[in-house]
Amino acid sequence: MSLEDNQLTPETVNNWDDARKLLRNWRDGNIRMSKETLDLWTSLIAPSINKLGDEKWLVYEQVFLAALDCHVLTIAADCIAALKSQFPDSSRVKKLFGMHYEAIQGYDKAIDIYESILSGDETNAHVRKRIISCLKSQNKVKEYVSELNEYLKLFQADHEAWLELCDAYLNDMDFSKAAFCLEELILMYPHNHVYHQRYADIKYTQGNYDLAKSYYSYSLKLNPNNVRSLYGLLLTTANLKSSQKSKEGVDNAKLNAWAREQLDSKYQTVKADQNLMDSVNNLFQSLSISKAEKA
Amino acid sequence: MAELLLDSKIRFWVFLPLMAITFLVGIIKHYLFIFMSNDKIVEKQQLTDSQALLRSRLVRENGKYIPKESFMMRKNYFTNEETGFFVKQKRQNTVKNPMSDPGAMTEMLKGNFLNMIPMVVIGGWINWAYAGFLCTKVPFPLTFRFKPMLQKDVNLVSLDASWVSSASWYIINLFGLRSMYNLVLGENNAADQTKAMQDQMSGAALSMPDDISKAFKAENESLTITHHNWALKGVEQTFN
Repeated sequence: MSLEDNQLTPETVNNWDDARKLLRNWRDGNIRMSKETLDLWTSLIAPSINKLGDEKWLVYEQVFLAALDCHVLTIAADCIAALKSQFPDSSRVKKLFGMHYEAIQGYDKAIDIYESILSGDETNAHVRKRIISCLKSQNKVKEYVSELNEYLKLFQADHEAWLELCDAYLNDMDFSKAAFCLEELILMYPHNHVYHQRYADIKYTQGNYDLAKSYYSYSLKLNPNNVRSLYGLLLTTANLKSSQKSKEGVDNAKLNAWAREQLDSKYQTVKADQNLMDSVNNLFQSLSISKAEKA
Repeated sequence: MAELLLDSKIRFWVFLPLMAITFLVGIIKHYLFIFMSNDKIVEKQQLTDSQALLRSRLVRENGKYIPKESFMMRKNYFTNEETGFFVKQKRQNTVKNPMSDPGAMTEMLKGNFLNMIPMVVIGGWINWAYAGFLCTKVPFPLTFRFKPMLQKDVNLVSLDASWVSSASWYIINLFGLRSMYNLVLGENNAADQTKAMQDQMSGAALSMPDDISKAFKAENESLTITHHNWALKGVEQTFN
């Protein structure tokens, strides 16, 4: 008897049909279970590949990518040979060849292949992304960033690319540009608390505590369990408290106390060991001391 | 009423051939479609434009979640009276007439050709060759109103409505063989009539607006009148 689709896991799969279903689930859901994919492939699927019918080619592609992830180049070579003989002119297969070169660090050859695909179809977003990733893995930061910018001029609404560019700028300590990228992400996913929290992180680093406070608070509103936001709120309010003496200072003190309470209760619920509790308490103390000194 | 008896030759020379003809035509159509269709190449300009429209819509809808300066910066990028993206791009794009674009023209022609020609030719031939037979009978009584649907070409008032004429049998097959095609050709095959119909209905809505400058102008206007109302204002008050 086969299980329901969503109950399938690599451990429970022991027949061909379930393996096929599981691979399909992963493929459709873009789930990267490379090791497991390879295991399923060698144990169950590969011996009777032709039973798959036309789905075979999709599975070949999936397994090929998984093999590259795990650097099992023999399986990868088998898959791509099969694909090549079936679709000799396909740009999708060409892209796979490029990725194969990438896996063995033949970046120049890979980029050549990608460029040749782009010359036929200049709107192929996947191939453009591959070129960018080639530059990234060679650590050519300048080219990488400028290529990513070019890409975003074409695909202004590509959320992955904005995220990537944000990370690149953060590595470069270019906070205002990173903040711009995160603003784009917030525009696209205004209900993702992590983006709000990261934006607050950047604003905090830039010294813009007021904005940081708002965004930490908002991310906490979206997800009260975001401990990083709680710490962020604690730090921003501590800083604000010491710098201002107006009525807002009182608010900040209240907020600071609240964040601390929340953190305390969080640590209590997870039953942290004594060592951790001590160090956390020390941390709080050092924070409050610095506050006390300045006030 | 006396029971009507069909000649058993009708089974072999009308009923089954009609089924076979529709089925085979469907399969031929599928392979013709694969043979003739080529990948749609999206134009770079068009892609950029649609992405810009998408982003501008996001700025309009979710702009309240980013600080005011950031919102104004983006608004200015899109709608500045001299350098704005929508203002500048407008001049480059002229109204595109589908008739003057040979690529779109042939695509349209091919689609119509593949759907219409078999319908007309085969349908006409079937009407000519098989008109006037009664093929089969549905095993339940039907009301009088079903007669024009099931008894095309057989204008007998007194005939029971559950009899099916050959022309109607053809049409039933044309649409009813869908799951057979799925079985033989795999899913999402081109022989599927219902899919072609859906394409015709929703196709226009899904594709890009033909007149990009008009879309730009509309988007420009709606973004210009959008004001920034920061959603995070006083959010920290909700705690403590």
